[in-house]
Amino acid sequence: MKSPHIAGLRFLQRDARHFQILFLGIFLVYGTWILRWDLEWERCLLLLTTCLVAQAFFVKWKGLPWNALKSAMITGLGLCLLLHAGHGYTLVLGALVAIGSKFLFRIKGKHIFNPANIGIVVAVLLTGDAWVSPGQWGSGPALVFLVGAAGLMVLLKVGRVDTSAVFLITFGSLDLLRTVGYLGWGMDVWAHRMMNGSLLLFTCFMITDPMTTPNAPKARVAWSILLALLTFGIGTFAFVHTAPIWALFVLCLTTPLLDLIYKGERFSWLPGSSNGKAQNASAVLRNSNTQTNH
Amino acid sequence: MKPIRLLTLSALLATNGAFPFCGFYVAKADATLFNDRSEVIMVRDGRRTIITMSNDFKGNVKDFAMVVPVPTVLARNDIRIVDRNVFSALDAYSSPRLVEYWDENPCMQWRYAENEMMMDAVSAPTSALSKMSMHEEAKDYGVTIEAQYSVGEYDILILGAKESGGLKDWLLDNGYRIPASAHEVLDPYIKSGLKFFVVKVDLERMQQSGFEFLRPIQVAFESDKFMLPIRLGMANSSGVQDMIVYAFTRTGRVECVNYRTVKVPSDRNIPLFTKEKFGAFYKDLFERNWKQEGRNAVALEYAWNVTPSWGGMKCDPCVGPPPMPNEFTAAGVDWCTPQQGAGQVFFTRLHVRYGREKFPQDLFFQVTPNTEQFQARYILTHPATGDLTCNDGQDYLENLFYKRTREMDELYALTGWDLSNDRGYTDEVRGKLSPARRNGLEAPYVPVDPPSGGGSGKGGGAIPFVLLALGSAAWYLGASWRKVAVG
Repeated sequence: MKSPHIAGLRFLQRDARHFQILFLGIFLVYGTWILRWDLEWERCLLLLTTCLVAQAFFVKWKGLPWNALKSAMITGLGLCLLLHAGHGYTLVLGALVAIGSKFLFRIKGKHIFNPANIGIVVAVLLTGDAWVSPGQWGSGPALVFLVGAAGLMVLLKVGRVDTSAVFLITFGSLDLLRTVGYLGWGMDVWAHRMMNGSLLLFTCFMITDPMTTPNAPKARVAWSILLALLTFGIGTFAFVHTAPIWALFVLCLTTPLLDLIYKGERFSWLPGSSNGKAQNASAVLRNSNTQTNH
Repeated sequence: MKPIRLLTLSALLATNGAFPFCGFYVAKADATLFNDRSEVIMVRDGRRTIITMSNDFKGNVKDFAMVVPVPTVLARNDIRIVDRNVFSALDAYSSPRLVEYWDENPCMQWRYAENEMMMDAVSAPTSALSKMSMHEEAKDYGVTIEAQYSVGEYDILILGAKESGGLKDWLLDNGYRIPASAHEVLDPYIKSGLKFFVVKVDLERMQQSGFEFLRPIQVAFESDKFMLPIRLGMANSSGVQDMIVYAFTRTGRVECVNYRTVKVPSDRNIPLFTKEKFGAFYKDLFERNWKQEGRNAVALEYAWNVTPSWGGMKCDPCVGPPPMPNEFTAAGVDWCTPQQGAGQVFFTRLHVRYGREKFPQDLFFQVTPNTEQFQARYILTHPATGDLTCNDGQDYLENLFYKRTREMDELYALTGWDLSNDRGYTDEVRGKLSPARRNGLEAPYVPVDPPSGGGSGKGGGAIPFVLLALGSAAWYLGASWRKVAVG
């Protein structure tokens, strides 16, 4: 049982964030090498460095465990996959806002905004120099398998399959009703829309951040339905192609409210149980008396 | 090395243009229906979009008819006829380019000559077109004639419709030959609230105008939708079609949001003999790249800040003077007139090869602040001439031999051409080397096998990643299961 690959597996299984870092890294390599994105390495280096340095600053300041740097790595990789800008300072701003928001906007020990999401929103709104390219992944079954398989593993680990599934089913049904049922396009048009890599990545890796989704399963279902409705509305009636980003930004504001109404166990990245779900999370938190949720 | 001669593809492919654009051409009588290549100028400024459609209709103009979905009912002032030279000016400036360099003879004093060379709204009075009976008749079909104009040589109707069957019948009964499959796309457009811009030629006015060819039509409208309705154009074409989009914005590049936008390979050194067949070279390069990208990507061929008042380089090297302010105005860029002065103009050239199978959706675009410059550029290097027997000259020839080998590799990689008959390109250099040096050369590799299958597409490139993901999933789930079983 001490073979190296089992040791590697144990390392991965110890923390769901290890999986996230691994898969986001694979996506980045895929985008850069296979899809030939532009200017990847300089941009990514800047985003990752800024995220890590900012997180290190807060870790030091708040006396948190150093493993909180993993979260910054995930935020940084998420930004690498989504945020583009004409100038380095815009990227730095996005990354600083992303990390800073986790420490500055908190309610009851949870940060309010999805870090990568608020980083993108602020960079796009404030500078006019940043953008998101929803078409950069293209659309196709290979992407569904790649993102789906990777996403499923992470979701099983963090126990947020419900969030993704409800969002995708609700959004997909609404789009099916409109695109095929109402407008009369063929199924291939709908399939092309649903197999968009950006949508899949958003579904499996962004909205599922356990720290910014409601704690109670019932609340998460309601939250996901609302998110899907909003995404569909913004995309369909306002023709905003980056609708999921804006919808998530708005919906994050409702999470504290839903947590107030529906009580649920708060998530921790380092639970006592091996399956990584939230059951023992609060106990770990109480025992350690530290804020590990960064 | 000094760049000496530039050549744009437009000069070589000047006769290749056949057909416009994003709506469909419907011909009356028995004229052949086809639309293989089209050019569109697209200007986006806030919510305002100005689209100019080139008109290279090669058939008998009396058979010309065109249907384009538009988001709003256009006013008379929103429709213009523009000079077709605008398209050639934009094309020439943004085309993939060939640049030539001359090596200097290392055995002689540096001396070279520098010689840069470049190869390369009118409206007519309204006629008595308006007929009340036409309106009445249209109503029976569930079709509304929202507006009716005579612009230049064209008679234009803007139709609203309640359902596709009525619209199709109306068009058929009014002499427009509609492709059988047009029905399936008309319905979604009607339900999306689009109107139909229907164009015919008035032969009498065309003769009076003295123009030999049909001129491009330009339409302007305000809408949140920034798109080109390509699906309608596929209704009368079973294969693939090419469309060149010249896009202008104030801020930066235009990119597609529902398909990938990918740069064509650029800045490649290719063999000298490619010059004679540069047109064929780029066509094959484009096709190969299109296949490798999965046949469903939009190709970026040029992106540059072309603001007239901006002093920076607008290309590297330029193939001619950048578009003039009057050409911008004709294209619909109305924010950089000499009176208005400043106002950045960013030029993006996109090349889309689309077909029904791989492009199920219309093309949707967004304007980005991305001002990174790009051009499709291929480099030829002429060898040094004269006596090259000195030591430096022999070093130069040795390097040249390997350089030419790489150029051959590059050409093969870009086009997949069979180069077995072009070995002379490297042998020629080898022959100029001294016997000792010649024997010291490593055997050159000249690819000879043509590519098989023509590219696996993006799906092929993704397979290792998919396998990796699935393998990881199996590994993870298997290990978890084992753990549960053991536990």
